[in-house]
Amino acid sequence: MFTGHNRWACCSAAALGGLLFPALMTAQLDRSIPPAPGPAPLVRIGEHATSTLPNGVRVIVVEDHKLPLVNIQVRFDIPPIHQGEKAGYVDLFGELLTAGAGKRTKADIDRSVDAIGANLYTSNDGLFASVLKKNLEPLMEVVHDVVVEPTFPAAELESALMRALSSVQQRKEDPEAIAEAVGRSVMFGRSHPYGEVTTERTLGKVDRTMLEAYHHHFFRPENAYLVFVGDITEKEAKELAKEHFGKWDPKPSKTTQDEFGRTVVEGLGAVVPLQKATVASGTRRVFVVDRPGAAQSVVRVMFPLAIVPKDIRAQQAQVMNTILGGGIFNARLMQNLRERNGFTYGCYSSLDVDRFNSSFVASTSVRTEVTGQAVMEILNEMEGMRKAPVTTEELELAKRSMMGSFGRSLEDPRTVARFALNTRLNGLPADQYSTYLTRLESISAQQVQDVANLFLLPDQAMVLVVGDLERIKAGLKGIGMDPLDPFTQLTEEGERWEEVLTPVTDRTAEQVVETYIHAIGGREKIAPMRHLTLVHEQQRGDEAFRFEEWFGPEQYRSKLHIGEELVEEFTFDGQRVLYFDGANSGEMTDAGFEIVRLNGRPVPEVAYRNVLEKADLMGTTKLNGKEVYKLTMTYTSGNSFHVYFDKETGLKLRSVEEQFYNGRVYERVVDFADWKPIAGVLFPHLITEEGGVSGPIRSVLGSSTVNQATPKGFFDVVIPEVKEEPVPPEMLPPEYSAPTEE
Amino acid sequence: MRPLLFALSVPMLAAPAVAQKRAVAYTEFDLPNGLHVILHEDHGTPIVAVSVMYHVGSKNETPDRRGFAHFFEHLLFEGSANIKRGEFSKLVENAGGVLNANTNGDRTYYYEVLPSNQLELGLWLESERMLHARVDQVGVDTQREVVKEERRQRYENQPYGTLTMEVLQRAFTRHPYQWPTIGYMEDLDAASEADYQAFYKKFYVPNNATLVVAGDVDVARTRELVQRYFGDIPRGEKVEQPTIVEPPLGGEVRDIIHDRIQLPAVVMGYRIPANGTPDFYAVELLNRLLSNGNSARMNVALKDRQQVAVYCGAFNFPFEHPGIAMLFAIANAKTDAEQLEAAMQKEIDALATAPISAEELAKLKAQLETEWVADNSRIAGIAGNLATAHCLLGNTELINTEIDRYLSLTAEDLQRAAKTYFVNQNRVVLHYLPTPNSQP
Repeated sequence: MFTGHNRWACCSAAALGGLLFPALMTAQLDRSIPPAPGPAPLVRIGEHATSTLPNGVRVIVVEDHKLPLVNIQVRFDIPPIHQGEKAGYVDLFGELLTAGAGKRTKADIDRSVDAIGANLYTSNDGLFASVLKKNLEPLMEVVHDVVVEPTFPAAELESALMRALSSVQQRKEDPEAIAEAVGRSVMFGRSHPYGEVTTERTLGKVDRTMLEAYHHHFFRPENAYLVFVGDITEKEAKELAKEHFGKWDPKPSKTTQDEFGRTVVEGLGAVVPLQKATVASGTRRVFVVDRPGAAQSVVRVMFPLAIVPKDIRAQQAQVMNTILGGGIFNARLMQNLRERNGFTYGCYSSLDVDRFNSSFVASTSVRTEVTGQAVMEILNEMEGMRKAPVTTEELELAKRSMMGSFGRSLEDPRTVARFALNTRLNGLPADQYSTYLTRLESISAQQVQDVANLFLLPDQAMVLVVGDLERIKAGLKGIGMDPLDPFTQLTEEGERWEEVLTPVTDRTAEQVVETYIHAIGGREKIAPMRHLTLVHEQQRGDEAFRFEEWFGPEQYRSKLHIGEELVEEFTFDGQRVLYFDGANSGEMTDAGFEIVRLNGRPVPEVAYRNVLEKADLMGTTKLNGKEVYKLTMTYTSGNSFHVYFDKETGLKLRSVEEQFYNGRVYERVVDFADWKPIAGVLFPHLITEEGGVSGPIRSVLGSSTVNQATPKGFFDVVIPEVKEEPVPPEMLPPEYSAPTEE
Repeated sequence: MRPLLFALSVPMLAAPAVAQKRAVAYTEFDLPNGLHVILHEDHGTPIVAVSVMYHVGSKNETPDRRGFAHFFEHLLFEGSANIKRGEFSKLVENAGGVLNANTNGDRTYYYEVLPSNQLELGLWLESERMLHARVDQVGVDTQREVVKEERRQRYENQPYGTLTMEVLQRAFTRHPYQWPTIGYMEDLDAASEADYQAFYKKFYVPNNATLVVAGDVDVARTRELVQRYFGDIPRGEKVEQPTIVEPPLGGEVRDIIHDRIQLPAVVMGYRIPANGTPDFYAVELLNRLLSNGNSARMNVALKDRQQVAVYCGAFNFPFEHPGIAMLFAIANAKTDAEQLEAAMQKEIDALATAPISAEELAKLKAQLETEWVADNSRIAGIAGNLATAHCLLGNTELINTEIDRYLSLTAEDLQRAAKTYFVNQNRVVLHYLPTPNSQP
């Protein structure tokens, strides 16, 4: 039993200042300065009593007779266990405790609880209940039955499974719930009790014998705490405990050891409690769950930790976290991301100190455009906590705020019971809470910096973003520490994302291509386009380029300029491709030749049949929320690339190809948008490229000419190393003004 | 210092027979400038709640400034003539306190909960906010972005997040309850500095405010302090509350909303009388009969027996003017919206066809009694309840007696209310369906 008598804000300067408080009521009010506080009030932690029933049930009682209300908690001390392929059964167990107990059906239990105006919530490690004092006795009978004699009727399990399956489905469209489930799985790993994800598949493996076995093995008097808080005397509570739980003496559960030395529980299989806390390892990585068109990005920056509640540094770490982002408005994350930058409605960090596995999570929801910036700001603030000591002003504010929070928490008598229970479950010193305020007061800026360096690990954090991948991925560059692996795309269930293709039987690759050709105007509009000039304004990083293309019958030429300087040129005369890099030129063969030969025509797709080895329709999938056909095109060399066509409009949305350069593989993704007609044929006027050797390119089609003949010899390819003169601008044909609207 | 001249000073040591020791004792009075003050003394925990409820909400907005009242709530943390930008929250947190605010259709509520030796700080902060809050452009620009993100986070990026606004938009055609408290960003973008000043001058006046001090304080001394900090704040013009009367709905309104969800949902919004009227309480009991507790009718029928729903809910919007009751259910993975609606409808129809049993009525009352005790168990909650009772219901004593309005209702009252309000021509029905693209 412990009691505490503490001075609130015991020796702070402001509180001492407050002792000077005299009645200043008669003086003129000076509005320009905040009023001084009065004498600091005493913070008193209420008393509790503990006792143990002969069968091992420990009883904790906190008397508080202010309101005619009694709270009951039953709590079993159960370690986190691996559920593996049956993930979800532990939660179902908790839910189904009230689905039948003793002679009562679910309906009986629900009616009994509601009839007396009680509340009763069960979970995998016990229950909470509350009721007016006058109705305590009937509630205790229900509490007994639910805890000691749950029956897990098969029909109720079926019904609960249906609800669980529904909620697994619903989670797929709930960004916060995705972030929560995927976040835990990314942080702890999918085989850690805290990182397991319940799915349709795992729910399918749950049966009721497991629930019974779990109950028999873990819900035992020697694991149990029975807590009473409120309008009840210690004597009354003990009598109730004895009456309802005194005779509880279940047989031991049948267990054996398997070959790995694990406990095997009859009906449950090997029960593997968490052996060792997972800690942060490796370097910072980024994970993305794609939600095309998401209104915001839900962001988590997190990592697991091994600090335990009885560690003296846990409180210092909480002060550190409070200053960083722990629930106060003046925390650094809130001030930075909300008040300075207006990125978000709120940004918080939490340091969950858990006796089995602790963790740090910073979380926010930000507008899509600033996602990368917001993550960087969070990481910078984390780094800032490590680099320099916090200011005295910040430290004092955090401490006062935590002291205030401690004081306010005592308004609820259940807090005293929670302290008592925590002390026992976590093996804390008996004076843990009675010395809380004095220990808090003594924490220094140096200690805060020290714990930041120990427990705040921005370089090993895992960053999870649930948001619109297409719109955020550029901003996420450089956040992950492996430049070759900028981010990993995950599914809503935390598995590595793979393109899911649905087979198509009602059409062929050729029909998809013909639909596209039809959609942009049709062969009859494309064929007369014998000559075409396109001028694109390109942005590559900070630099502006001009990219010009001339298309002739089986002929092509392109030039890339920065200002007046020619940096790259291709010429194709129908037979050979000449490449010029601004200094040297030479003939292109193999892969480069194939690419220019195909793309050196206004609408390459019209020539697929002639130029390519084959085109395969791989199936339908989703791209930025749209249903698309995916085609894989294979050149005669065997090289291939992928093209995605919009199922609804028929238009080409994306092409993807692999590029090999300096021993690395690049995945070049080109997106086509802003389709507008040129001489009756739709052309993409915005082409964006990512991931290729040249880096990100944004290309806007500015002007074009149609059927203006090029000078004679314009497409000639002269292979000998003769430096070609660029065509003087005045020789270029007059510009054809493209219409700006469809 | 001015003499303590209180226009109205009614110490209420209420102790009605039903309430017994659970009654909340309080003192209330008006300052000459019209500020209504309610003081509640309770030394259980050394904390004090200081709160101000301004009788202004989204229903006081004009149709081209929707969301202004809520936006203003954000701005009023920006400081005052004596409090620099960003200092307001610092002062509170440095004192070991918490602060926040919220806005609804009818009122805006600000509060601090502080260690009780910081009472004066709380009074000073709230009096500064009332006397000469300062709104600068930096604050306006930042909070505009913050509020946009609040809207996205709470409504747009949330499954079913737009549900309330979609219902209200169709349930009202004239009354400002038709638009959401969070408002519309184009209106906030269009607001000018003059708008802010006019809004502040019009609504943030003592004669439109209720100040509550609750907790570990001495009433006599607090009274003097209140006079000291608030006494010299000038009275404002009389605030005219909107008088728009929404005509009857005049027929069922139906619509389909596509949202990024996996499970369909059905929501029904029934037009009901204002908070505080006898029928408002009757409808609220009907809501509870349908969805409060596992033995509630919709929970039993839709979740347990027919197994068509994963969630059921029914509740009143406690609006000062006639508002709505909302009934809501989310289908499980094998049920469509039509089936779900049919199952809900059956329970709604049953409310009108037969009076509820004595057993059910007793259950509702037992649940209410427990809730009512729990609801007044925290100082911050008591402060809010006192402010609401005075500001929106016009009778502070309702904190102790409102429960009697429920307890006095009979099975016949409930049946009559069901027949009057839970009828098809008086409701909006929305089916929330997965957008075609978001199906798995």
